[in-house]
Amino acid sequence: MKKSILIVLLIGFASVVQAQVSAEIELGAKGVMSGNIQNDNTNTASTVSDFSDSQLLLGFIEKLYNACIGQMVFGIQFPDADSDLGQVFYNHVFIKLENKNNIFKLGRSTTQTILNEFPTLRDDDAILFNYSLNPFSAGINTQDNQYGNVIEFTHIFKQRYWLILHGENFVDASEPDNFELNSYGASMQYIVPESQRWNRDVIQKIGISYNNYLTDRSGYSGYEKSLKNVLGTVTLNIKPDPINFIDLKIQGIYNVGFSEVDSLISFSEYVRSPSTSFFGTVRYLYRKLERPYIQTSAGFGYKSFSEVQGSEQFMGIANLFYRIGENFDIGLQYRYLKNSGQSANLFGKDEHRLQFTLVYSINQLFNNQFDDRNSILNLEHGYLK
Amino acid sequence: MERRDFIHYGAMGLAGMALLPANLYAAETKTTNQKLFPSPLPYSKKGEWKEFKLNIEIVEQELAPSMKIHTLAFNSTVPGPEIRVKKGDKVRVKFKNNTELNHTIHWHGIYVPWRMDGVPYVTQMPVMPGQEFIYEFTAEPYGTHFYHCHWGTLLHMQSGMYGSIIIEDDDDPIKKVFPYDREYTLIYSAHDVNFIRNELNGMLERMKERSYLMKTGRFNAERFNLFDTEKELLGAIETGYQPPYLVNRRTAADLPVPNWFTVNGKSYPSTPYLFINSGENIRVRLINAGTENHHLHLHGHDFWMVCDDGIPVPTPWQRNTVSLSPGKTYDIIIEGNNRGIWTFHDHDTRRVTNNGLYPGGNLLALVYEDLPEEERMVMSMGKMKMDNMNGKKNMLPKIALDE
Repeated sequence: MKKSILIVLLIGFASVVQAQVSAEIELGAKGVMSGNIQNDNTNTASTVSDFSDSQLLLGFIEKLYNACIGQMVFGIQFPDADSDLGQVFYNHVFIKLENKNNIFKLGRSTTQTILNEFPTLRDDDAILFNYSLNPFSAGINTQDNQYGNVIEFTHIFKQRYWLILHGENFVDASEPDNFELNSYGASMQYIVPESQRWNRDVIQKIGISYNNYLTDRSGYSGYEKSLKNVLGTVTLNIKPDPINFIDLKIQGIYNVGFSEVDSLISFSEYVRSPSTSFFGTVRYLYRKLERPYIQTSAGFGYKSFSEVQGSEQFMGIANLFYRIGENFDIGLQYRYLKNSGQSANLFGKDEHRLQFTLVYSINQLFNNQFDDRNSILNLEHGYLK
Repeated sequence: MERRDFIHYGAMGLAGMALLPANLYAAETKTTNQKLFPSPLPYSKKGEWKEFKLNIEIVEQELAPSMKIHTLAFNSTVPGPEIRVKKGDKVRVKFKNNTELNHTIHWHGIYVPWRMDGVPYVTQMPVMPGQEFIYEFTAEPYGTHFYHCHWGTLLHMQSGMYGSIIIEDDDDPIKKVFPYDREYTLIYSAHDVNFIRNELNGMLERMKERSYLMKTGRFNAERFNLFDTEKELLGAIETGYQPPYLVNRRTAADLPVPNWFTVNGKSYPSTPYLFINSGENIRVRLINAGTENHHLHLHGHDFWMVCDDGIPVPTPWQRNTVSLSPGKTYDIIIEGNNRGIWTFHDHDTRRVTNNGLYPGGNLLALVYEDLPEEERMVMSMGKMKMDNMNGKKNMLPKIALDE
């Protein structure tokens, strides 16, 4: 009886204390609806409504007793219809701790398989060229490369130099119940904060990254067993102007690969065969009334395989978005993919895809209580804990 | 550690937060207290002019221990320094804008020439980043007044852009009736610190762009939301311009809800003390530079209302509570006739809070300096036990943060 009373008291005490701290709530939502027309030489297919990449994010953020901020995020995403992920994919379930110069993240989230954000309709539109690909994946969906169970530590020097150390458990198609770390890596990036980007003269971002996938390479041991990727990226302000803004983004990936993999019959070989890929975009953004109004971009991707003669991949992509409301865009995107040599066996010889799209994306803060690390006040007038 | 132990230590921590003022009567306390009132702004004499220099910058302001916000600050202080002149003085104020925002200075209650009134686009163009503007006027009328920014007033005032201007008269009408030597200026304000932070960030972002466009000669009425005539505005709307107040440009109901209340830029327990002696009169100049009504109540005394908006009232009258509405100034005389330590606070007790927690806000105290030693008993909370409290009637007040 006494024990029960004590428990009730403790719960009461805890609830009184906790009632005085309410979390900041962040709601992020993105709806990407597109009508697609696709031709891959063998047939022409059309999709009335493709809502893949639409997602909902819910974050809870709170100041802790020290100078840290704690955050918990849940996110769901609607994957491609032909993926093996079902109707809904839980792309974010993580907790993050951060202070002025350090960030620690643990849980399901985006992986460090890309170093830049490219202006394509969907994040995975150029995934064969701008992502370091998951060698444990069966290649059926793109989420295997974009998301994983991660442990990440970031240290930020002088507001702009980001050192990220990370380990991941990528989805392993052959051992879906294995949750051990199967990758680790590090990156160093110079990143101009968002609020200062348009008025930088040239460099917006430079980064280099090393990813080491702990593969089980037959006949090798130790460090030689793993698959290594090196990524490099740069974003340059071609015309840093608040009305007519032009930037250039380029990323290269050198997949050291396994020299013995000299064919591209399966996705496993495609990822393990040594390759070099580049992807770049030029973007023009017209801002009206201090808000984005029209954006158009053109991109080009190229990938070659040093051990597979004659196998190359090309991609051209262009899009145009027109803002019809504060968070509402209407757009058109065209993508052309050409595969030669053995890569054509995997992805077809070539493909044209035209997409008409409507995009609605919001990011709303409720119960806002503290500032962002990258706000102008915190960046230029002293960081407040 | 057991959960029970955690709660035990947590409770001890809370008790430890009840900070004891080192010694209310120590010289150090009085020196520190002096800094909690607006400091007089020095001037240089240029011919017949008293020339003052004011600048504006963004600083970190500590409202209460461990609670800092970014604010706008005249000469790096909130409130700004006190301009104190004689009636009829020629006053020149050189105002330098060291921020990336636009500003002006409005001289609230002063008979300035209309071009010196500090209202952007009505009496002058805004003082843009890096610019200097010179205000010149004759100091009149007599009394307690204040100055504040009149650009983005809702944000800039509660962000700290206010200060007192006192116009003295050698033949002071109040002193004749209530002789006094000491006086205090108390400037009240209310702050929605979330509104301040978000709006300052947004305004800084916009102004960076606009300053850049101005420098490159690309002013645009719609982009700057600035039209020469109503006809021009209506014409722009007809061709697709969306005014910024519409719901498709901005979420509605974002008006600030103040959650911090300050006196001279500080919230309890950092608010100043008003020192007095038995038999002494002190003059307290009350200024409301904020957006809320404050119903100021003094315990144990009836004070004299002597000036309203700086103007001496024909017949002073007594009361113990005064409602100080936004933009208002009152002068009161407190007679030292009831020795002790007395609370002077907003009787709208929502304003005696910090972030919703009582006590806080504009809570301060009237302290008699001649309180006998035997009544100044101090006991550390850490040593206090319930049985020791019997018979200890006159312990000095502590700083309690949670009642």
